[in-house]
Amino acid sequence: MTMLASYFSQDCPRAWELMPWVLQHNATKKQSEWLANHLAQCEACRAEFAQQQLLQRAMSLPADTDVDAEAGLQRLLGRLDTPVMDEKPSPKRVGGWLTRALAAAVLVQAIGIGALGLKIWSGGETPATYRTLSQDSTPAAPGAIRVVPDANMTLAEWNALLHSLQLQVVGGPNEVGAYLVAPANATSKTQDTLQQLRSTRGVRLAEPVSGTP
Amino acid sequence: MNDADHSADDADRLLLQRMSTGDRAALATLYRSYHGRLCRFLSRLTRRPEVIEEVINDCFWIAWQKAGNFRGDSRVSTWIMGIAYRCGLKALRQHGEEPIEDSNIPEDRIPATDPDEDRELRDWLGKGLERLSTDQRVVVQLVYGEGHTLDDVATIMQCPVGTVKARLFHARVKLRNVLPALAERSITQKEQA
Repeated sequence: MTMLASYFSQDCPRAWELMPWVLQHNATKKQSEWLANHLAQCEACRAEFAQQQLLQRAMSLPADTDVDAEAGLQRLLGRLDTPVMDEKPSPKRVGGWLTRALAAAVLVQAIGIGALGLKIWSGGETPATYRTLSQDSTPAAPGAIRVVPDANMTLAEWNALLHSLQLQVVGGPNEVGAYLVAPANATSKTQDTLQQLRSTRGVRLAEPVSGTP
Repeated sequence: MNDADHSADDADRLLLQRMSTGDRAALATLYRSYHGRLCRFLSRLTRRPEVIEEVINDCFWIAWQKAGNFRGDSRVSTWIMGIAYRCGLKALRQHGEEPIEDSNIPEDRIPATDPDEDRELRDWLGKGLERLSTDQRVVVQLVYGEGHTLDDVATIMQCPVGTVKARLFHARVKLRNVLPALAERSITQKEQA
């Protein structure tokens, strides 16, 4: 690693800092005077400053590369007259085949999903209801009673019975002809209703649905 | 910035204003006035004349298009040098860094007016600059060759002033260690001849 030579005085680092700006005439008058005083006393900094002057002179020499200003200017002016076009081809895509393959895979998937969706939509089938074993079945209405009317009971008798007991059918009949009835208003007592149903002719079975109050 | 810099900058701003209205004569004036210093600056990045010309023309192509957008936050010279620096780096990426060695430069390409002393100085400097990184060469050129301040160089290179300071410091230390030895060797060779 290159290291600075040891300074001769504490002022040398400051002198080192100031040198380029004094050479450029960008230092203040005070700074320039301070450096001049320091150089008068410090031989090492005098040598360094002389080296810096030489460096500045060398860096200010005209370039030794042969570039014709007028020819360049004419080319630039000609370029201004050229309509702006896509001068440069678009950069070559890196990994283009991979991108195309991925795009094709996505397209195939999209078509497949679309076809599946169309099939389900056009099928018109009611989607099956799935229920997990831990999931509760649809809760029955409060005070619901399962009733099996006799086959001989007419519809008018059935309706009159429901009306008199203020019941309404909330489900059924199921495969054994059982209806699920529930009180039309919350004030009816399930036990009384149950007793009345059981005592009615034409009612073969009346049982409360377990779990309902 | 001294008075001469102020008046030069005022003249440059006027040229930019004219360029923003489509004045090609103003463009030509600015081009000719900056050509020399841009050549010198860009020759620290590449020694290939065709690349240098391409970069200068790219730089003025951008200056022509953006002349109306110049906000005046910096000197015009700082603005132009910044454009040239970025164009130069882009060209180096495109063309690769293939500097032509000094020994490969044909004799007829060295300016005929170059006195022996200048040629020695150029040779001495070239050997010293070989030891520097590209960034260090650029900073040294901008400070010593073109007279830019630390703030100017930071604007041109789009980096913090502290970074410029560090680059300048390390470049100066390297040159300080190398250049005197080169000068002594040159004197010894002269005496033997």
